Amino acid sequence: MAGYLARRLLRAASTLLGTTLILFVLVRVVPADPAVSIAGPKADPATLAAIRKDLGLDDPLPVQYGRYLWGLAHGDLGRSYVTGRRVAALIGERLPATALLAVTSLAIGFALGVGVGLLTAARQGSAADLGVLVATLVGLSIPTFFVGNLLIYLFGYRLRWLPLGGYGGVRHLLLPAATLAFVELLFYARFVHTSVTGTLASDYVRTARAKGVPPLALYLRHALRNALVPIVTLLGLDVASLMSGVVLTETVFNWPGLGRLAVQAVFSLDIPLVAGTVLFSAVLVLACNLVVDLLYGVIDPRVQHG
Amino acid sequence: MGDGGRGRGLLIAGATLVAAIVLLALLAPYLTPYDPDVTVVARYTGPAPPSAAHPLGTDTLGRDVWARIVFGARTSLAVAVLAMLVSLGIGVTVGLVAGYFGRWLDTACMWIVDLVLTLPTLLLLIVLATVLPPSLLTIPLVIGLVGWTTFARTVRGEVLSLRERDYVLAARALGASHAWIIVRHLLPGALPSVLALAALGMSGAIGLDAGLSYLGLGVPLPTPSWGRMISETQTYFAVAPWLVVVPGVAISAAVIGFNLIGYGLLDLLGAPRT
Repeated sequence: MAGYLARRLLRAASTLLGTTLILFVLVRVVPADPAVSIAGPKADPATLAAIRKDLGLDDPLPVQYGRYLWGLAHGDLGRSYVTGRRVAALIGERLPATALLAVTSLAIGFALGVGVGLLTAARQGSAADLGVLVATLVGLSIPTFFVGNLLIYLFGYRLRWLPLGGYGGVRHLLLPAATLAFVELLFYARFVHTSVTGTLASDYVRTARAKGVPPLALYLRHALRNALVPIVTLLGLDVASLMSGVVLTETVFNWPGLGRLAVQAVFSLDIPLVAGTVLFSAVLVLACNLVVDLLYGVIDPRVQHG
Repeated sequence: MGDGGRGRGLLIAGATLVAAIVLLALLAPYLTPYDPDVTVVARYTGPAPPSAAHPLGTDTLGRDVWARIVFGARTSLAVAVLAMLVSLGIGVTVGLVAGYFGRWLDTACMWIVDLVLTLPTLLLLIVLATVLPPSLLTIPLVIGLVGWTTFARTVRGEVLSLRERDYVLAARALGASHAWIIVRHLLPGALPSVLALAALGMSGAIGLDAGLSYLGLGVPLPTPSWGRMISETQTYFAVAPWLVVVPGVAISAAVIGFNLIGYGLLDLLGAPRT
């Protein structure tokens, strides 16, 4: 177990280092001169030179990368070019809104999706299989922002039950959470359905059935346990795609979270802010995957010796 | 699972849908008398609902929506094909190299794959789109650069199972070069699943392109693009719902079509799917 843990930690650390390198390279090859972004296009050369010196933009690249890493190690993500405020503070302000949206929609989508998957898998036969496949395929093909807009039209404009967007109480949360939960629901329903039907068809389940295990016990005790182990992995991998969905959903509903922050930063060419939000999401994904790896080691004894 | 009838059914349904969209794109100039980028109404009085002259209505600038849809199909398909080719090129090469040579090359390649998978796709796209000024060439490049990992993983898996086969070992014993073995013996074996992934790559690229356009980071104006049609007009949704519904349905149809082809092929191949 200790060896497994050490390997996982090492891997996560090296991925994180790689991410910082990619972001550093991207940030340094952006054509816009940071000094110009800060001082504006009409600034005189002396001011620009002073800002460049201040930011250390004249130093060799490895030195700059080292300084970037040093700052990161101390929780310093740099300062926004536009507002001059700390990127870490800006992220901290927006994080609760994103967390609220992401956790709510994941919880709803996951619970409903697993439920639907179990129900459809219990109903064996190729018609149920085809139904689940086609329904999830079509549903997952509809762009998130289109789903969001349709919900706004129906519940906001036509029925006038819910606000069109913005941040506030539960009423503001319902539509964006439903938009994201829609995707999660289909995603987990498909996975659970495929996984459980696969397990039900396996030899040990057939043996148990031949021995006269009642159908419900067969389903719950034999098929489900094994079928649901990989779902833990999926939950970890899903965090990355959930973040992508969050960006679009926040834009549709004008939800003041990290996604809006990143998109707005792109339009103002606020590079440290863009890089900061992306790095933050990457850390989040890595942390979730690490937790999943550890859980997996606990759930499935085979992993510890792998 | 490998029930041939079902896979064929999905494949045919998808191919029909995709063929219809490809025809729209190819025949665009013959399908509409209007220029997609020009105001075509004589007197602008707001977006007009569908009528005989404008089957899908006109938009907030008095342009013909049908014309923008059929010309927008060109943009979407062109971006998706280029992006898919970029992904395919990188992914297949990495997969072949990693699977065949193994050892540290494999470790290094899979480390990069993990790295790309760790970064949320859309955020990575946003960063890349900031660095490269958006155009009809950079957008596919950017989408292709984030989408190659599935190709790499699948091809690597295929190669790992193929490289110990007798005919490959025989070729090696006869002194065949690495390049020859890879191209002649390993690549053909991986081809069927690559084909299925290419279809899924198309649907993924169309979705990502639409998302980028929706955020305003897609192919720049005035090129008509389905994603941008939604972002431009969503504030008019209450009064002119067709402006959002029409491009939304177009994007969905294209993604559904390519997904049906991809899953149909996977089903025919008897591949496990998640």
